[in-house]
Amino acid sequence: MGFLSRASKTLKPPKNLSLLQTHLTLNPLSSIFRRNPVSTNFNYDPLRLSQAFCSHSRQSSKENAVDLSQYPAERIRNFSIIAHVDHGKSTLADRLLELTGTIKRGHGQPQYLDKLQVERERGITVKAQTATMFHKHSFHGADKDGAGEEPSFLLNLIDTPGHVDFSYEVSRSLAACQGALLVVDAAQGVQAQTVANFYLAFESNLAIIPVINKIDQPTADPERVKAQLKSMFDLDASDALLTSAKTGQGLEHVLPAVIERVPPPPGKSESPLRMLLLDSYYDEYKGVICHVAVVDGMLRKGDKIASAATGQAYDILDVGIMHPELTSTGVLHTGQVGYVVSGMRSTKEARIGDTLHHNKTIVQPLSGFKPAKHMVFSGLYPADGSDFEALNHAIERLTCNDASVSVARESSTALGLGFRCGFLGLLHMDVFHQRLEQEHGAHVISTIPTVPYIYEYSDGSKVEVQNPAALVANSKKQVTACWEPTVLATIIIPSEYVGAVITLCSERRGQQLEYTFIDSQRAFMKYRLPLREIVVDFYNELKSITSGYATFDYEDSEYQQSDMVKLDILLNGQPVDAMATIVHNLKAQRIGRELVEKLKKYIDRQMFEITIQAAIGTKVVARETISAMRKNVLAKCYGGDVSRKRKLLDKQKEGKKRMKRVGSIDIPQEAFHELLKSS
Amino acid sequence: MLKSTFTPFFSTIPAKPRFPKPLPSTILRALTQSAPPVRQNTSLTIFPPPTSAYVHLPFCRKRCHYCDFTIIALGSSSSSNQPEDDPRMVNYVQLLCREINATQVKTNPPLETVFFGGGTPSLVPPKLVSSILETLRLKFGLSLDAEISMEMDPGTFDGEKLKGMMELGVNRVSLGVQAFQEELLKSCGRAHGLKEVYDAIEIVGSCGVENWSMDLISSLPHQTPEMWEESLRLTVEARPPHVSVYDLQVEQGTKFGRLYTPGEFPLPSETRSAEFYRMASRTLSDAGYEHYEISSYGKKGYQCKHNLTYWKNKPFYGFGLGSASHVGGVRFSRPKMMKEYNGYVENLENGLVDCGGSKYIDVKDMAMDVVMLSLRTSRGLDLKSFGEAYGSSLVVSLCEVYKPYVESGHVVFLDEQRRAMTVDELNSFKLNEEEIEKSLAYIRLSDPDGFLLSNELISLAFAVVSP
Repeated sequence: MGFLSRASKTLKPPKNLSLLQTHLTLNPLSSIFRRNPVSTNFNYDPLRLSQAFCSHSRQSSKENAVDLSQYPAERIRNFSIIAHVDHGKSTLADRLLELTGTIKRGHGQPQYLDKLQVERERGITVKAQTATMFHKHSFHGADKDGAGEEPSFLLNLIDTPGHVDFSYEVSRSLAACQGALLVVDAAQGVQAQTVANFYLAFESNLAIIPVINKIDQPTADPERVKAQLKSMFDLDASDALLTSAKTGQGLEHVLPAVIERVPPPPGKSESPLRMLLLDSYYDEYKGVICHVAVVDGMLRKGDKIASAATGQAYDILDVGIMHPELTSTGVLHTGQVGYVVSGMRSTKEARIGDTLHHNKTIVQPLSGFKPAKHMVFSGLYPADGSDFEALNHAIERLTCNDASVSVARESSTALGLGFRCGFLGLLHMDVFHQRLEQEHGAHVISTIPTVPYIYEYSDGSKVEVQNPAALVANSKKQVTACWEPTVLATIIIPSEYVGAVITLCSERRGQQLEYTFIDSQRAFMKYRLPLREIVVDFYNELKSITSGYATFDYEDSEYQQSDMVKLDILLNGQPVDAMATIVHNLKAQRIGRELVEKLKKYIDRQMFEITIQAAIGTKVVARETISAMRKNVLAKCYGGDVSRKRKLLDKQKEGKKRMKRVGSIDIPQEAFHELLKSS
Repeated sequence: MLKSTFTPFFSTIPAKPRFPKPLPSTILRALTQSAPPVRQNTSLTIFPPPTSAYVHLPFCRKRCHYCDFTIIALGSSSSSNQPEDDPRMVNYVQLLCREINATQVKTNPPLETVFFGGGTPSLVPPKLVSSILETLRLKFGLSLDAEISMEMDPGTFDGEKLKGMMELGVNRVSLGVQAFQEELLKSCGRAHGLKEVYDAIEIVGSCGVENWSMDLISSLPHQTPEMWEESLRLTVEARPPHVSVYDLQVEQGTKFGRLYTPGEFPLPSETRSAEFYRMASRTLSDAGYEHYEISSYGKKGYQCKHNLTYWKNKPFYGFGLGSASHVGGVRFSRPKMMKEYNGYVENLENGLVDCGGSKYIDVKDMAMDVVMLSLRTSRGLDLKSFGEAYGSSLVVSLCEVYKPYVESGHVVFLDEQRRAMTVDELNSFKLNEEEIEKSLAYIRLSDPDGFLLSNELISLAFAVVSP
């Protein structure tokens, strides 16, 4: 029951749905690509393309000899590692796998390293949702049996995403755990993501083991970190582990601490099978592979199971553990975590958080997860209007492995046919764009990202608005109220930057909720901020005003009523739907001026004068003019050599082709890209 | 099958042999959609033989700062009036004549126009010019009233030399004055000064050259509106029956290209440069010149016949270093380097190259050439012949794309009598094949607004022809 209540607790109001990962660097993607692929066993790949390396079952007979029946629940520990980015989570995980012989130190498995390399070149981190390890341990020698042999424990290291952009997924992973290693850099101390992850784990009732890592650094100050852990989290820091994953110092104490301090999974082995679907991905050879946690009962290969959500029945074609590659065991017992192959045709059938049970048995479904909530929406259009089918195909292929993107067709008068896509956060959106371009060669124009607003009309109806263009003035149905999503942001900064950060947050319509000092040097602040205000450039701005020292994390919070208006961009009096945005009334003029100036810079002179206006309804708040082109003529005789004229004009024609036409105005794609960058 | 149906490919202007059979527009549409290269034979029934020849004489005393043409700078050692025996010229002209002789000709109607361009053709001794004309005469024949033009630069000829040229048959002079300001001539690296300009005008007049053109360049560095106005005024006063006004193009690889950026000081701004163009159009039109092509003005009867072959997309021979020809539907440029050109002539003599025909010709390319060239002229695009050759649906599309620019004053739609359609008429006009055929005959760019933006406007048409 404990497990169940934990699972449901994390799912309560979607507090833990966080959108923007805290460690966005200037290029938000670089942080993904930078990751070390060996350690990436435990990196979260938001797009789940990457499980290829674990799709090959290990064939060695030795591995197949794993007998899971030897591991009753009390010899199982399910735990995860949580940390602020770059505090050493991946390296630590790597060392634990090596320590238990699960992977070989260095470059042990050449074929999967190769694979990783390929994936790394493609800019994707490899993800393993879970890795199973075996470790011998005795409780202070007391538990040794007669033969003097130490009992072996089955340890499941359940990955938490490295990017808190997806803290929804963190809670999903934590739901299958009973404990967590909270890794903190000995020099940097507690950071924003440490705080966020701690609370996620704490709310899930997990046993938390503080690990102060990187103690080999010259600037390491474990005592200060201990004091922070005590003051911030009220953690008894005396039993914190001191490690250096780099040198190996202190690592031998980690797994014993897991075994001694994390409780075993609480399920009932004699009850009918219930398992929680943790994750799924599509493998080219095996089809859909589901990661599952067996809560109660037992699962065997050949069993017929059913989904509580859909009622659909499936045959278990293969079952096993991730060791870390898929290792077939034919069976999974209570409390164990592994994979199943069940002949599902699409990941859409595998609903994350679903309860799977034996077909024709009736069980109480486990409290599942809420479906991923899309917090950032953007229109995606083919840069070349004729490429709609190609884009459609590319998006279909990509979403096959990333069910967390919502896709709906839409059309724009400016950009033609395209898609409105919903993302978990901005990073998610960026990665999606990049992959569309890199892997599928799709050239896309995306519209200004928008968050979902709720509008109430005079007739009492309420509508969620995901596309500003959908907000059309209608005299019969006037807007009476509007709500916008907010987030609770955690910001940790060296104290000298407090003033600048307060200014930034109030510019962004933030409301300060908490302001304390972690120690003499670091301030901790909590703000309620409108999601809209942080979606585009908040983190970059924060980093730049704090010389990179700020750390930032946020979680989803409730909607608040706000005076949000639609800001139209008009070219020669004609509104361009794809450029409309929803802004706060008080900021409309400033943003309008910014957008208009940007457009002026990026739209070339044309044969006629162009006026660019930003307007709220009929009220123009900003205006610029691009004067007409005066001259573009080749008044020169080339002795009949017209090929040069032709080349010039062909080039000009091609240039026009790459532009988007609104009315008679050619808009270069860069203009759209630039608009994206302003808030 | 296709070959037999491909008849009137270039009939923007009713060509002398009118081809009765229009190309079925269905086939053309199919072609323009999928754009397959159409294998074209060079049968004379499709492409008439040229009656124009361009002859390139690349020699200059020095390279002007704006020039990126194929030239050979002779250097200061050759004084302008005694290069008779300069072996570079002698050898070049010999090679040029070999090229003319080696050119494959199926039928040879006499040439109607010959144009000596350069370089500075007036540097070449009449004796050598004579041998070229003689070679052409023997090879193709020269019509009795053929227009034989020569580009001549001030300071490179005297009365005697000009008379010599005229005796050979040269009957049109294109005088490269460029500017009437000493400082401008100097700063653009011309090899002559203002005095030579006046002398040259005097010589042309005293020799009785009736048909001549004053060539000017606008938008030179440091050029002011006052200077340009003066140049135009002095031009009108010199009473040439033809004026060419070229707008300075800053080309890569030239001295100007290294020194200047278009639109930035000391070059005039885009606005000022456009104003220069308008000034020329206004001043010269007021003085009785017809602005018949983007950069050409002529009194009645004095349009340059040779250049008209270009704008009409008619065929022409090209002889000499780097020259371009348009024979058998194929545009071909000769090598720009002497060594390669030499090799080219040798291959031609050995029958290894054929610069006219037996190449793939793309229908769209031809249609684009027709549009590009005809829209440079005041006559404009002849919709009837264009429709016959490339399909009337293409005509409809062109009208559609240009309609907004009729309203904005950049484009003019004309009927058979060359009456311009008003905006009101256009707005109540259905743009379909029947209506267009009934009441529209030409599309032209307006002067000066449309001409000034001709690149923009023509590339719009390109996008229609070849999306």
